[in-house]
Parts: sequence; C-alpha cells; structure tokens
Amino acid sequence: MKKRMIINWLMAWALMATGAAAQTEMQIPVQQFSLDNGLTFLVVERPTAPVFSGYICVSVGSAHEINGNIGTAHLLEHMMFKGSQNIGTTDYESEKVLMAKEDSVWAKIDEARRQLPYLKINYPDKVAEQEKYIESLQMILDSLAEASSQYVVQNEFDGIYTRHGAAEFNASTGYDHTNYYVSLPSNRLELWFAMESDRLKNPAFREFFTERSVVSEERRLSVENNPDTKLYEQVIGTAYMAHPYKIFWEWQSEVNNLTRQDLENFFRKYYIPQEMTVAIVGNVKLAEVKRLAEKYFGDIPRGTLPEPIYTEEPPQTGERRIDVNYESSPALYIAFHKTAFDSPEEPVFQIIQRLLGDGRTSRLYKALVLDKQTCLDISVGEFPGGELGSEDPGLFLIFAYPKEGVSTAEVEKGVYEELEKLAATPVDEKELTKIKNRIDADFIWGLQSNIGLAGRLASTHLQAQDWQYLLSFRDKLKQVTADDIMATAKKYLIKENRTVATLIPKISGEGK
Amino acid sequence: MKRLIFLYLVSAVLLAVSATAENPRDMRFPPLKFEPPEPARFVTDNGIIVYFLEDHQLPVITVEALFKGGSAYDPPDLAGLAEITATVLRTGGAGKRNPEEVDAALDFVGASISSVALNDYLMLDMRALKKDAELGFEVLADLLQRPLMDTAKIALEKSNRQDAIRRQNDEPGGITRRIFYQTVYEGHPYGRFPTLETVGEISRESIIEQHRKYYNPDNCIMAISGDLSPEELKTLLHKYFGQWQRGNMTISALPRAAMNYKPGVYFASKDINQAHIRLGHLGIDNKNPDRFALEVLNFALGGGGFTSRLTGQVRTTAGLAYSVGSYLLNRPLVGSFFAFCQTKAESMSQAIRMMLDIIGKVKDSGITLDEMNMAKESIINSYIFNYATSEQMVNARAFLEFSGFPPDQLKKDLEAYQGVTLEDCNRVASLYLDTAKIALIVTGNKALFDKPLESFGPVTEVSLEIK
Repeated sequence: MKKRMIINWLMAWALMATGAAAQTEMQIPVQQFSLDNGLTFLVVERPTAPVFSGYICVSVGSAHEINGNIGTAHLLEHMMFKGSQNIGTTDYESEKVLMAKEDSVWAKIDEARRQLPYLKINYPDKVAEQEKYIESLQMILDSLAEASSQYVVQNEFDGIYTRHGAAEFNASTGYDHTNYYVSLPSNRLELWFAMESDRLKNPAFREFFTERSVVSEERRLSVENNPDTKLYEQVIGTAYMAHPYKIFWEWQSEVNNLTRQDLENFFRKYYIPQEMTVAIVGNVKLAEVKRLAEKYFGDIPRGTLPEPIYTEEPPQTGERRIDVNYESSPALYIAFHKTAFDSPEEPVFQIIQRLLGDGRTSRLYKALVLDKQTCLDISVGEFPGGELGSEDPGLFLIFAYPKEGVSTAEVEKGVYEELEKLAATPVDEKELTKIKNRIDADFIWGLQSNIGLAGRLASTHLQAQDWQYLLSFRDKLKQVTADDIMATAKKYLIKENRTVATLIPKISGEGK
Repeated sequence: MKRLIFLYLVSAVLLAVSATAENPRDMRFPPLKFEPPEPARFVTDNGIIVYFLEDHQLPVITVEALFKGGSAYDPPDLAGLAEITATVLRTGGAGKRNPEEVDAALDFVGASISSVALNDYLMLDMRALKKDAELGFEVLADLLQRPLMDTAKIALEKSNRQDAIRRQNDEPGGITRRIFYQTVYEGHPYGRFPTLETVGEISRESIIEQHRKYYNPDNCIMAISGDLSPEELKTLLHKYFGQWQRGNMTISALPRAAMNYKPGVYFASKDINQAHIRLGHLGIDNKNPDRFALEVLNFALGGGGFTSRLTGQVRTTAGLAYSVGSYLLNRPLVGSFFAFCQTKAESMSQAIRMMLDIIGKVKDSGITLDEMNMAKESIINSYIFNYATSEQMVNARAFLEFSGFPPDQLKKDLEAYQGVTLEDCNRVASLYLDTAKIALIVTGNKALFDKPLESFGPVTEVSLEIK
C-alpha cells in the first residue's frame, strides 16, 4: 500500500518533468477539500522525510488598514503569537479583568494627550500638571501590566511548538495576505491542528502595550536605519497617491496609538473561514488531515465577507522625482506603475522582469555591471509582489547602486537606453527561450521544500480561488511573445509613468 | 427518573469528549523514529572523496565541492585573495568558453554554479535539471581545471570589491558585526578584513597561484545528490574529472585564536536612532566535547528564540528590541560567543544592563531543569530538519568528513545532546561565560543615549575611516 502510493506520487511529479511537450499534463498531486464553514484545505502527501509544513494564508494585509490605524495587520500578526485563552495563561478570567483595566487607563492617557495642544495655547500653566497626570497614568498602566504578568505563561505558545521540534515557525504580513506557518515532525500533526485552531478560535491579545513597542523597534531596525528600505519607503510613498499600497511599512505615529480593540475589530472582520486557506505538505495522510480539520476547525462559524478595497490609483500624469538625503552611499530606485495579477499584461511584466534582471546574462546586469561598468549592482523587482503579482495594480522597480565616482544621472541614462531597446526591438527567440527554460527550472526547484510549496498553493488559492492557477499562470508566462513585450514596454515603461528616487549621501552631522 | 438522569449524564460526558478539542499543552507524542538514508562514499583514482545520495523524486541534481583553504589562509598583505579567486573562478571564463559563454551556457538552461571562499573553506555549488547534467558537470569541471582568469574580469572584480569596502559603513548591522570580529580576533586571521590596499595588491599571478594551490582533487570532497544512478554518476565523474591532476600541496595549519584584546566598550559613531549592540568574547572550537552542553545552555540563554531568557526579558517583558538573542559560533580555530540586540537609542544602557545581568546570572547560577529540558527536547525533536532532504543529508555527511569527524558523528551528536545534564550545563556556564572578558560593541548616536557608554567601562572609539 505504502509502496503503491509512492509510485503514484512519483509518476505525478515525473509527468511534470518531461519537458515542454507535456506541459498540459503537468500536475501537482494536490488533494483539496472544504469544510461547511468555507475553510479550504490543500493537502500534498509526500512520503519522504517524516516532517510536514502547515501554512495558513489569510486574505488580509496592510492594504486593508484604514488611516489612523496603520500597522493593525502587522501588530495583530505579532499578537497572534501571544497564545489564546487556554495557552499562555494560568487564569484567563482574571487576566481579562486586568486587560480591560489596562485598556481603560490607555483611553485616559489618550484623551489626556489630546488635550495637551489646547492647554498649550490657552492654559500654558496647566501643561506641566497635565504631563504629570499622563505620567501617573502611564505608571498605573505599567503596574497593571506587572499585575497581569502573574497570570501570563510567557511565550507558552512558542514554547510548546519549540519543545516539539518546530522549524521555520513564523508569520509574515504582506499587503494582500497574512501568513502563519511552521514545520513539525510528522507525528505532531494533531498538535498543529490544536495549536492553530486554538489561537484562531480563542485569541487573547495579552502583553499588548509591550508588543506595540516591539513593533516600533522592528520599524526602526527594518526601515529607519536601513538605507535600502529607507529609499524603498520613499519611492513607494511617492509613486502612489491614493491606493493603500502607498505605505511601505506602518507609520510609527499610528502604531503608537493602536488599541487592543482596534486589533479585535480587525481580527473579527477579516479572519473568517471563507477568507483563509490552509495548505499542508509533507508526510501526512489525507484522511487524517480531514478528520482533524473537522474536529478542530469545523466549529468556527462563517463570517460576513468584508468589503473589498474600492480605492483605485489614478493614472500618473507625469514623472515624479524625489531626493532622499541619508548617511549612506548613493543609490537610484525607479518605479513604474503596472497591472494587477489578473491582467493579461501581468505575465508580460514577469517576463520583462526576467529579461532585465534575472541573472548575469540579464540585460541591465550585462549592460550596466559588466559592459559599461557604471553599477556595482543592479536588480529588478516588483511591488508588492507575490507569485502571481499583486491583488491590485503594483509597481515594477529597478534598484541600481552606482560604482564609485559614477553619477546617478549616468546610471539612469543607461537604464533608459535598455528600456527603450525593449520597446523598439523585438526580443530574439533565443533570449525568450532562455527565459522560458528558467521559468521551468525555477518551477521545479520551487517544489523542493514543503513549506515553499505549501505557501505557493495556499496563496494562489486564496488569490485566484483555485490553486491550479499556479499552473495556468505558468502556461500564460510561456505564451508571452516578443510583440507582447514591446507593447507592454511602450505602454508602461515610459517617462510619465515613472517615479525616480535618488539617495544622496549625507555626511554625519550635516543638515542639523 | 434516576435512570434517565444517569443516561443523560453519560451522553453529556460522551458529547464533551467528542466535541472538545485537545489542549495542546497536554499533548504528548512518542519520539520520532527516523533512519536517514546512508549516502554512498567512494574515492576516485585522483583522490576526490565523493558522497552520493540517489534521489529520483524531482528531476534535479546538486553538487557541492568543498576544498580546504579559505580566507583565513590569505597572506595578510593580500587579504581578499581567496574571495576574489573564488569569484573570478566563476566569472573569468573556463575551458573553451569565454566569460560570457560560461554565463550564457548556464543561464540558458536555468542551471547555476556559485563559488565562494569562507573563512575556513572554499566551496562550489552546482544545481541543474537532470537533463542538463552533462552541461553542469562539464562547466563545473572546466571552472575547476581550466579557468581562464580573464584579465578584465579580475580588474572588474577588484574594483567591485573596493566599492563594496567603500560602502561597508552604510548599514549599522554590518559595522557592528565587523568591529566585533576585528576586536575579539585581534591579531588572528579570523579578525582580518580586506582593505582598499590589500585588494589593490592582488595580481593575476597571485590568483593563479591561489587556484593552483587549493583547487585540487586530492584537496576536494564532493557531495552529490539527485536524479542519477550510481553508474551515471561514475561515468560523469570519469569523463569530466578523470584527468584532473593531483596537487599534492600541503596546506600549513593556522594558529588558534587567543585573547589579545582589552575587554571594554568599542564605539562606532553613526547618526541613527537605534543602538546596535553586540557583546561577547572568544568561545570554543568545533570539536570541544563541551559543545553539546554549551549549545543547550546557549539555547536557554539566548539561542532558543522566544523560549530563551534574553528574548523573554528584553523583548517580551520590556519591549526593548525586536531582535535579541545570543549565538555560539564554534569554529575550527576557536569560535566566539556573543549576545546582540538593537534598541532605540534612548534605551541603550537599559538593554545592555539587562543583557549583562542575564548573562552574569546564567554564569553564576546556571539554568533551570525546565529550561534545560526545553532546550534538549527542541534540539532533539528538530534535528531532522537539518537533514530533511537528500541534498542536506549528503552535504552534511560530506562536511563531517571534511571537518575531521567520524562517519557516525550525526548519531553521536544526538546521543550527546540526550546525555547532557544540568550539572554539565552549569559547569560550562561558569567555565566559558566570562563577563570579565566581554568586548561590548555599540554603534549609534551618542547624543541620544540614555546614559554615557562609559558606565560600562573604558570606551575606545573605533574609526570608520575607510582604508
């Protein structure tokens, strides 16, 4: 029985590998089922090493946040690691009382802070008193947190997974999706179901105010003190006027004012079974996955589908340029508005991305790093990204790092020469074949890791309502022609559609 | 009536059992039984030690070739030689292909070869689809045996390395890391970094000599996995590597690192709103029998993520950092131990004080039985993830022999972790953690710090001038 399963499994993979002739036969042995509440499971049985990966993809991200509450999706993702009403506590009922007190003290702090500007104008002599009042409230908040800690079993959720040998245990917040994943020894399948369903059914956002500080430190580390992301933040923020993709990371000012209630509202609205997909890949059995799925996730009620994002980015009407002064070496980022994942042009963009930036023989690398030697490095990317592209129209980006003594203007000129070539001259068949070969190879390598495959299946299913879109999207990539590339380059990779951000080195102490 | 009640109770109990999900806190599982497949090992006529694991799940092959050598072996005035040689080996053309033709041949089929020099070894990696196995082996063999070391590519690589050196202060994390190694490994090759000058001194002759000295079949261990039969592999090896001439070179041993630095504070000035902190000292070599107990201890101290003391206290309780922990880097010529975090400038001293206290307490009082059990269970239960694919398995086996361990070391490792006792942990804590030897590296803006750095000892300001 076991042997026979292995053979079937291998045959399914082998079909995929027989090359271009067999494209249409290509398959991944995915088994799919849905619970009555609308939660979909995708299962790939791989009878190899005794491990599996569990991946939960939720159809919500930072693009769903509203002004004033920027950072909710990310902070919520952090809070999901705080355990549940069962895990991470010795007495949830007592904890709950203290959390409510914390929240009401925070509300007072918030209110008192709002009065400060008016006091400063009208009653300057009362400002010091008010500040003292805020300080005393802050002390009460700290002492409530201290009191809560007697009931908290710190990091117990993490500790349970860790003790059972978890690997790759983490989560990520994107613009369109939020992902929760972990790999475990295969005999811990039921543990995964118990842990994940528990935090989804009975969340407890304990240690809220310290975690808010942690998220602030994450922003300082990842954005404010990193030249690459600093420039990235600025180019994104300049390219978008209206669409929520415009915020590269949360704003510190908004995170500092989020409340536990904000997170709970967001959680109730978006973390509903119809808006989640689960993928399990590894040494598991479908029947067992089905049984446990019913047992642990079957009682989650359906929710009301949330409103979509209505905002559309208005067309750009001319080139935007921005300088960023920062204590770092020069860099140049160029962004062009592009399409959403379901547009016929999306596969063309992905081919263009490879033509320009994939590997040492790609056009920009060859022209600017190897031939002209004006760049130390150059690469191409898409924002906000995703295997299939983004849910709403994203950006096509070029990241260039000039060599010592070369101006960013010279690099910029070199980049545009390559973009013009793309629009003016059909790409030759050999170059196109190279790219299609690389797509094939990357696809096969992408099947290697359990967690990688689980992530691709879950996010594709959530985005396209069918995991098999992964395969049809790949077919679309392979159907892109030289004419498609010229047409898309002519339409999008043009001056009026671009935003150019230049990092200008600031010597320490300057500009103060 | 009575009877009815009885029935009702029974069904209520049954209902409760069937409807109640288990509490994950109470779940127990038997140890996982896993006998990983044993790779084949053989030696070619010219001395290549080959490890091979056949795996037909995906139509792919991987080759990893390890060579003794590495950047620690660079002559001091030519620091950067091993890295530049490794890069130009890949980019400088080989056999009948000029540099562009090598790139084109690999890129066209989506195959890749990378070549790097690490401190303690040199490594090439090749990945290709099964159908391109011949091409992959051919190019890899050309690179190793017939590199062209194109003059223009050497000039480009030298200039790019110098540009990278000019950019080395852009990110605070990179500055902090570099200063830590330069400090604790003062006077030892592990603490040496290339400079504009040493890279400038590297000539084509020195590169060719470096290649001739190290990239030889009798200095090579290869790990191969994937969709090949043993016969196919032997044919490929014979065809492409059969003529590779032995080097018969002796590589002289390097000295072990010893403590030459002054404990204290090393500060680098950078206008940022966080302090990047790394503190630690020299550690143990990779064969020290105490390494298992020390790994378990370090897991509880700061290596075990959220379950560790550093993360629990600095991040979860105090909210001072997103990334905080400790690391035990066991290297052949003496490793190092360090703790790290990044915190807003205004909480610099608070975070350092907390970290030093946690380390000091672990040194003096050790860890608890619960902490040790958590660490041991995690290390043992997750061990399989280091060897979950054929590629990982075969690479790990090859690396064991490369590093001079017996073939059954992986199994021995597991047994050694299982055998660690609380006494062991507490003994190694007091033996190897040494707060008196700590070099504390801080990068940031002094003006924003909550307390003067001097409160942690004499401060040496490290120049970020680029040489």
